[in-house]
Amino acid sequence: MGENGKRNTRVGIYLCDCDGKLSKKIDFSKVKTVIQSKADFEYIRVAKRLCGPSELQELSEEIDKYSLNRLLIAGCSDPMINRRIVEVAENKGIVRYFVDFVDLFALSEGKKDATEDAIASVNETLDLIGMKADVKIEELDVVPDVLVIGCGIEGGVAARAISKKQPVVLIDGGLEVTDGLDLVKGAKNLTVKTNAKVLRVSGFPGEFLVRISENGKVIDQKFGAIVIALGAQPVYDKSKYGGVELGGPVLSLSQFVKSRPECAGKRFTFVLDKADQDSLISHATVLREAVALKEQGAADVNVFYIDMKVTADHLEQMYEKARSVGINFLKYVDDLEIRTTSTSATVRYREPFLPDVGIVEVTSDYLVLAEDFVPFSVTQELAEIMELRLGPGGFFQEDNVHFLPIKSNREGIFFVGSCHGPIHGTELTREVEAVAAEVGRFASGKVRVPALQPRVEAEKCAVCLTCYRSCPHKAIEIVHDESLNNMYHSAARMHPLACRRCGTCAAECPGKAIQLPLYTDQEILTKTKKPPTLVAFACENSGALAAELAQKLDSQFQEKFKLQVVRVPCAGKVDVIYLLKALERGAEGVLVFGCHQENCKYIWGNKRAIKRKEQVRKLLEDIGIERDRLEFVHIAANQGNQFYDAVKAMAEKVRQFGTNPGKVVR
Amino acid sequence: MIVAERKPIEKILEMVAPYKKILVAGCYGCVTVCLAGGEKEVGILASQIRMARSKEDNPIEVLEQTVERQCDAEYLEKFRDNIAQVEAVVSLACGIGIQYLAEKYPKTPVFPGVNTLFLGANIDVGKWEERCMACGDCVLDKTGGICPIARCSKHLLNGPCGGSQYGKCEVSKDVPCGWQLIYDRLKELGQLDKLKEIIPPKNWLRAKGPRTLVREDLTLER
Repeated sequence: MGENGKRNTRVGIYLCDCDGKLSKKIDFSKVKTVIQSKADFEYIRVAKRLCGPSELQELSEEIDKYSLNRLLIAGCSDPMINRRIVEVAENKGIVRYFVDFVDLFALSEGKKDATEDAIASVNETLDLIGMKADVKIEELDVVPDVLVIGCGIEGGVAARAISKKQPVVLIDGGLEVTDGLDLVKGAKNLTVKTNAKVLRVSGFPGEFLVRISENGKVIDQKFGAIVIALGAQPVYDKSKYGGVELGGPVLSLSQFVKSRPECAGKRFTFVLDKADQDSLISHATVLREAVALKEQGAADVNVFYIDMKVTADHLEQMYEKARSVGINFLKYVDDLEIRTTSTSATVRYREPFLPDVGIVEVTSDYLVLAEDFVPFSVTQELAEIMELRLGPGGFFQEDNVHFLPIKSNREGIFFVGSCHGPIHGTELTREVEAVAAEVGRFASGKVRVPALQPRVEAEKCAVCLTCYRSCPHKAIEIVHDESLNNMYHSAARMHPLACRRCGTCAAECPGKAIQLPLYTDQEILTKTKKPPTLVAFACENSGALAAELAQKLDSQFQEKFKLQVVRVPCAGKVDVIYLLKALERGAEGVLVFGCHQENCKYIWGNKRAIKRKEQVRKLLEDIGIERDRLEFVHIAANQGNQFYDAVKAMAEKVRQFGTNPGKVVR
Repeated sequence: MIVAERKPIEKILEMVAPYKKILVAGCYGCVTVCLAGGEKEVGILASQIRMARSKEDNPIEVLEQTVERQCDAEYLEKFRDNIAQVEAVVSLACGIGIQYLAEKYPKTPVFPGVNTLFLGANIDVGKWEERCMACGDCVLDKTGGICPIARCSKHLLNGPCGGSQYGKCEVSKDVPCGWQLIYDRLKELGQLDKLKEIIPPKNWLRAKGPRTLVREDLTLER
């Protein structure tokens, strides 16, 4: 098998016995012999315990020795172990996508001898690897330069960290916030432009073309990636403090931080939880400032609060320290009454825990009031220019866990810090690390990616812009090239670095010109050629995982309900044709499993799927077929039970309906 | 672009009721762009017809084929093999394509699968608006680039009627008054004086019958 050194696909097969646990049910030598006799691969070996350090080392060496560029690992399905193996592979230049796993535990469950199942499963996976054979790894030239927008502390920290690896241009984004500039003084590889705004962004990750106006002068510059770190704006809202105006003894928290008054012998009071209820930032700031005041000799420091928020690294210790240095923490429940004179301020409140105490008055020389945080006014405009989506409160970033902490709806554009909602210092450190790692991919000026973005057949592309407009990631351009074989000499093109491979475009295309590798219409329609009673199209981020869980709860469940699960990268990939064809070819019921509302990894794939479900239901209804034979189910990856229940409910429903009258018997 | 929409399925089923084998013919031109008659819509309609007929215990065979444009004879030629096998064709092209297809295959009944609606712009995915009525005598230079024929419900050429209120047409509060749009645009351009010019009535008589265009400077003498 190993003679042909010129073969492009060089698969290494590892059959792991999981420390003798699997050989009770699987005859590994037989699996190896059968596969050796038929399949096309480079190297095969039975491993005792592949996840052990010595065997991992051996794996790493064998990748070099046999020039392997694909791995098939049959063994357990422990995600931690899989990750370790992928890490070894990636270190040797085999991208994650080319490492396939077969779960031998799952297929041997409930069986006495699973040797044949193992052989079948390994063979199937080899076929899959074969299908992936023509997937090329593209090496793309990218611009290493990064644009960081925002000269506040957050922008400064981010710019400094990124500039260690690659050139950075730091601009203020047209804001007058420049307190981060001290942080980047003397940094190499870093250019600062103030009074500089982004006017236009075109192009794609690796090569964004950005038009910047600097003091009215317009320049165009290329950047591989863009980091927005504008920060958030503190705003004092007097209505939250019974109309108390700032001035004299009353300071806002940001005023206080900027110009701390002489503190020796003075009394200070902070008020938390009237404003900025959603973040930790005011709590963290007040704890830090209060301790500093006390250490610098303030006579008395009080902190009014409703709930002390300490759910971030070091905050609890900070709170403990504040208590130990003698800061008074005063919990209030009812409203506070604030009275001021020209030299002092008094907070009057009802002590909630000590009924005998009743009303208490605290007078101090300075009263410091927490503020709300709002997005800077330029946020909206910048979002429009860069086609970025805003979230709650008008801050940057989708309200969607898949985007946390730093992702935007576009590849190559990231958020750091409070511009996507106020964050606290240790969170910032983590975000800066994450963003530096992300943009660091471009530092060498080259990046390698599997060419898995959808392909467009120019002959069929009507350049109708449906894909361009439906793409959640702005990853599509219409390119003009005389070699493109249609009347326009133009076609849509999915950018390899901008595309997240959800397949929404392929499902929307009215000309069927777009195919997503590994999920082509042909592959999916071939899979569902002879559907059993039920077909479930399941998003790999939720439904497909829930299906695996359901399978674990009841290993016979797919057979019991005569269910076929078809994996799709996103519910947005589910084409109207797939749904209709499944029913036409004899399925009694069809389900689409997608992620929960506002939780689609690809922004609106689940919403598109729901629209298509409605469209197909109408198509069915119009020809007198029960519309409820098609269902969309919102599900999360851990909801195996719900998956099971949804399938069971559909099975029951179609049983009541009787045979699908639209089934076309051939 | 020509904008069309799929006909209701019951109408199409009525048309193909007598037949056992048909072709659904799509077009990669305007009807693909307006999501009414491209390859995908061909697949959808074909599935729907098969299922509907299967349900009635009256199975039908449906072939599917889409060509570049149904308004050019050379592309229509591509249908020949399939049309030879079927009893009827449902075309998802615009009215032009349907007629031209019928003309090229005189022995096979050709049915419309779409209603051709108007000449319009694709505002966003799933949204189209009428912009031109192909009057053959463009006045957009006089009306600030906004067509009074297509955008005024009454096709008035010299200012709004009494039904223009608060910028809307009396036909519906969702329809802007075309003449209001024209006025606003001309004002913005500083060209309000253009409104003083009387646009003479158009000749809608079609004295010469259906319109043709022959450009002697281009026609090919074979």
